Amino acid sequence: MRFVAKQPKEGINVSDTHPLVEASTLVVGLTAIFVVIVLAIIFMIEVALFFVSAEDEANLFGDWLPEDLITVAPDDDRLVEIQLLVDRLARHWPDSPYTFRVEIDDSETANAMALPGGLIIVTRGLLDRVESENELAFVLGHELGHFKNRDHLRALGRGIVLAMFFAVVTDSDVAGIGIKATDITIRGFSRRQETNADEFGLAVVNSEYGHVDEAWRLFERWEVENDSVINLVTYLSTHPESGDRIIDMKRQAEAEGWLLTGDVTPLNW
Amino acid sequence: MDGNLETLELFLNFGFPLLILMIAYFIGSHIEKRHFRDIRERETKVHGFPVVSFNTMPDDWNVSSSDMVTGSIVISLDYFKRVIAGLRGLIGGRIKTYEPLLERARREALLRMTEEARLQGYDAIFNVRLETSRLANARRDGKGVAGVEMLAFGTAVKFASRFANS
Ligand SMILES: [Zn+2]
Repeated sequence: MRFVAKQPKEGINVSDTHPLVEASTLVVGLTAIFVVIVLAIIFMIEVALFFVSAEDEANLFGDWLPEDLITVAPDDDRLVEIQLLVDRLARHWPDSPYTFRVEIDDSETANAMALPGGLIIVTRGLLDRVESENELAFVLGHELGHFKNRDHLRALGRGIVLAMFFAVVTDSDVAGIGIKATDITIRGFSRRQETNADEFGLAVVNSEYGHVDEAWRLFERWEVENDSVINLVTYLSTHPESGDRIIDMKRQAEAEGWLLTGDVTPLNW
Repeated sequence: MDGNLETLELFLNFGFPLLILMIAYFIGSHIEKRHFRDIRERETKVHGFPVVSFNTMPDDWNVSSSDMVTGSIVISLDYFKRVIAGLRGLIGGRIKTYEPLLERARREALLRMTEEARLQGYDAIFNVRLETSRLANARRDGKGVAGVEMLAFGTAVKFASRFANS
């Protein structure tokens, strides 16, 4: 047998697809798939909400307290005051199926949440930052608005389903792309929810106090506080629309002819 | 004000990772092109040197000495290849970004082995085998691949009389 020397052949073991073509096909295609999945999830939750009435929900979750989600602050005297305030505000939504309950979450970050069954969570960080009852009343009214529009179930449902979804996708880079695509898709929806909740909250505050003074002062302070670069990233992820919210609320108050100034009720603590 | 913030956020979320990805791509593909050029050049130099995979020596080879020769290369993925392969892993199919990487590794390992044999004055290599192994973990959680090792080895022989063969 003769030995004939040959150079290695090229192009058999290596695809001739340009890496950038491969990359963009994958990124665009998978992003589209993610978006479709998220939209399908949103749609399924809407269907589920149609079948579970607020009354059913109130009965089902009436004394639910997710201990692994929140750390109840021990003996915060402010709890009684907030519960009284919520009860007062809830009177402006007379046909509410919920019996609202308040718990204080022992956390530094300022936040408030609406959870199934009429549970309102306010963080210690929020209570430390509010400077008048009117400021707090708006935050609570905003949460009541979430119950009214049933956003709290949507948010929870989405959170659960998406957590399951991303448990399947374990690669961190890929999950990162998915989370971003999801975030953008959901943002449009959640922004509208926040606007609606703001409108409801502002209406409640106006009915309670006869004016909307200081309702959004908390947000104005946040805007100034968060102007530093370090806070920018967290600020963007949690309050994407703080400035717009204030503008929207002012517009609403003017359109409704609500008083922009009035007697501000100090906090009882 | 808020419009600017949103643009910035969009940049932080999408533009920045994309920028990193593109930088990784350009550096990675530059290195890859250079490597292929180098491989081709060196392959031309060793052109004609018999490297065969028979596991027994051809009968008509009259050899005076033999030894095992090896050539190995450890080669790493760039971030671009890693990300694209991760995306590919979701739906399956050819991991096209890995193919040139392994092609480089194979040819480089064979080249190093051949160059080693020539340096030691051997005339041919038979029973050539290729082995590959995954190397170390790139991430703290134990996932991810730092690189692959490609090992080529074979039996190099010196012909007793150069022109008695073939
Ligand atoms: Zn809200």
